Amino acid sequence: MAGSDQVNLIESKTVVPLNTWVLISNFKLAYNLLRRPDGTFNRHLAEFLDRKVPANANPVNGVFSFDVIMDRQTNLLSRVYRPAYAGDPPSFTDLQKPVDGEVAPVIVFFHGGSFVHSSANSAIYDTLCRRLVGLCGSVVVSVNYRRAPENRYPCAYDDGWTALNWVNSRSWLKSKKDSKVHIFLAGDSSGGNIAHNVAVRAVESGIDVLGNILLNPMFGGTERTESETRLDGKYFVTVRDRDWYWRAFLPEGEDREHPACSPFGPRSKSLEGLSFPKSLVVVAGLDLIQDWQLKYADGLKKAGQEVKLLYLEQATIGFYLLPNNNHFHTVMEEIAAFVNAECQ
Amino acid sequence: MKREHSHRETSAVKTGSSSMTANKEEAGGFDELLVVLGYKVRSSDMADVANKLEQLEMVLDDGISHLSDDTVHYNPSDLSGWVDTLLSDLNPTCDQVKPDQDSEYELSAIPGSAAYPRGKRTRTGSDSPTTTRSMVVLDSQETGVRLVHALLACAEAVQQNNLKLADVLVKHVGLLASSQAGAMRKVATYFAEGLARRIYRIYPRDDVGLSSFSDTLQIHFYESCPYLKFAHFTANQAILEAFATAEKVHVIDLGLNQGLQWPALIQALALRPGGPPDFRLTGIGSSLTGQSVQEVGWKLGQLANVVGVNFEFKSIVLNSLSDLKPEMLEIRTGSESVAVNSVFELHRLLAHPGSIDNILLTIKSIKPDIITVVEQEANHNGAVFLDRFTESLHYYSSLFDSLEGPPSQDRVMSELYLGRQILNLVACEGEDRVERHETLVQWRNRFSMGGFKPVNIGSYAYKQASMLLALYAGADGYKVEENEGCLLLGWQTRPLIATSAWRFNRVE
Repeated sequence: MAGSDQVNLIESKTVVPLNTWVLISNFKLAYNLLRRPDGTFNRHLAEFLDRKVPANANPVNGVFSFDVIMDRQTNLLSRVYRPAYAGDPPSFTDLQKPVDGEVAPVIVFFHGGSFVHSSANSAIYDTLCRRLVGLCGSVVVSVNYRRAPENRYPCAYDDGWTALNWVNSRSWLKSKKDSKVHIFLAGDSSGGNIAHNVAVRAVESGIDVLGNILLNPMFGGTERTESETRLDGKYFVTVRDRDWYWRAFLPEGEDREHPACSPFGPRSKSLEGLSFPKSLVVVAGLDLIQDWQLKYADGLKKAGQEVKLLYLEQATIGFYLLPNNNHFHTVMEEIAAFVNAECQ
Repeated sequence: MKREHSHRETSAVKTGSSSMTANKEEAGGFDELLVVLGYKVRSSDMADVANKLEQLEMVLDDGISHLSDDTVHYNPSDLSGWVDTLLSDLNPTCDQVKPDQDSEYELSAIPGSAAYPRGKRTRTGSDSPTTTRSMVVLDSQETGVRLVHALLACAEAVQQNNLKLADVLVKHVGLLASSQAGAMRKVATYFAEGLARRIYRIYPRDDVGLSSFSDTLQIHFYESCPYLKFAHFTANQAILEAFATAEKVHVIDLGLNQGLQWPALIQALALRPGGPPDFRLTGIGSSLTGQSVQEVGWKLGQLANVVGVNFEFKSIVLNSLSDLKPEMLEIRTGSESVAVNSVFELHRLLAHPGSIDNILLTIKSIKPDIITVVEQEANHNGAVFLDRFTESLHYYSSLFDSLEGPPSQDRVMSELYLGRQILNLVACEGEDRVERHETLVQWRNRFSMGGFKPVNIGSYAYKQASMLLALYAGADGYKVEENEGCLLLGWQTRPLIATSAWRFNRVE
């Protein structure tokens, strides 16, 4: 095994900058320490190791943030990021000043972590959300949803739904043009999966979502796809760890045919005829679950939904965490264009 | 050991184009992009860290979670050090005594080899200042917002010395506050009282915090919420680690009060594998306290007797901590390990110029093995009154918010305990204003500049603290966080108190 492992390691090192490699390898190692074979998770150590940052109402690079409690019963927190106001930093009472502009997009963001890791105040996601604000000129609301294995399906989706309703009902987030909140759903990895499922629920309940942005969304299924076999263990991720996370998230006894895992699988509801939001789906060419992601984009198309697929051949997972590669900039531009299309 | 050249041993980078900066260096030599994400890795060490990660990956596979049970992790931001810890854990050269897994809810001494992390220690020098102005947004009820607005406007009027306006506003605040409920009402009432006292110059008695009543209040505060328990617990863990192999130990408590911190330590020492050390406690009290420091010592002695720990006690009574002279401590150099402990004491010394330097000098001169410091995580000592007011309003809002629940005597007294801090903070000035809280970053600077080195508090203490919280605090809102070797306890996402540990080398 050692021989092929060595090839694997060197391979992943050649496709990303060294500091990216160190960052993601560090996560990989830490996550290995945290997942137990019996399906339990070392949450204390996870929280200890996770680098977190506080909210900051003083603008940094034109963005400020503050935390809100959306639901006291589930302790659902979210972090709101806003473009800085002209003039003085916001005072305590100004944090929820009405948004500027005829059309003011609001992005509801779900961080990744395979349903188990990270939080809204994790440094990697705080940084990403701040970038999104600068990029799209929009408010970003990053949801601190409940995580597995302590909270299985459907908790994360429920929290996403709560967040969507919260955002939709804030008077200070309404665009002047039509006195409605212009909402986009976004997420990476498990966050992408959550965004999809919240969008489905939104459509069924009549809440308008203008677009979905899915970065390396986490989907799966029972069969082993070609990409999973080919890329297993080669670029930071293994099939085995994917299985572990699905077992942690899905209800006990369920398999990966479950619609949460496989939205276009045999057990899922059809999206045909629904006014599902347009989607931007970003797939990394070195992500082993890409076949599932491509199947997802395909499924949307077949159901008559608008989808733009961005396939980045040489990208690995986490490429969007550091601005040191071309894919990062490509994707950021696409996201900006996707969101600002509404503002035309 | 530090590499001079900064050339990067990157393997061929296919994706990185020259226009995109791969590894930007900053003043400290740390990779700028990783710093933003919470990791401090010198660009010159990047390849080395990568190699170590590779090594670890080769030796380990998926089933390594058992490592996390045995290993104590330190300062995750220091990636190089963290990786080193893991590597050396795979080649244990010393016998590591596993902490007693059964008594997970008690303090346990952990092996001395884990006391100081191997490998590179993070410099705590040029941290980018994180302002503690993280906001707690209240319910968006109009009166709540108007109340805060009025409070701030009143403070601003006071700041500008427009006392007529301030007078009008403070009455308005009183009116608005009465229509509120819960934490907000109480906080607003205290802050309004502080403002009123400042305006009318009816200052609170200047022995606030030093009377025996204050001691009593502190006991209620201890009972009703986890902050003091956390402070004591985390400080004790650090002390235990430092004392892991010592035969004779000496703890100097800069503010003994009721000695609430020490029973747990005494018990943990008694349970130490290999038997307890001789334990000597020097308790410092204020001359204005009615309660006898000796009495507290005597009670602790009784406990020590019951659990079989040799105990010696000495009391020192001072007007001010800055009067503490090394000779008073009667250090037995060479034969005892020394810990200096300060829970919410040091910030008081900032009220008198020079005092903090005096005490730090005294501490340095006795060369302790460990210094544990717990302080409020907030900057309530800014030069501008309005800034102090705003900061503390947020801080105490979070604190009171965390106290909400079914009424009890403990809770009421705790609110009074905190309320007196608010009054001192808002109404007093000069040497009377003793509640001069400063942030972890500020204390770090002060200690670093004083020549102290940080001692990382590890994941074991973190885990135990988290578990204790879950047991005793009940409410979901409390969160423990790690920050470069220090532990913070907060409510929701707002850190409220911080524990840090330091040492001053004997060989310097």
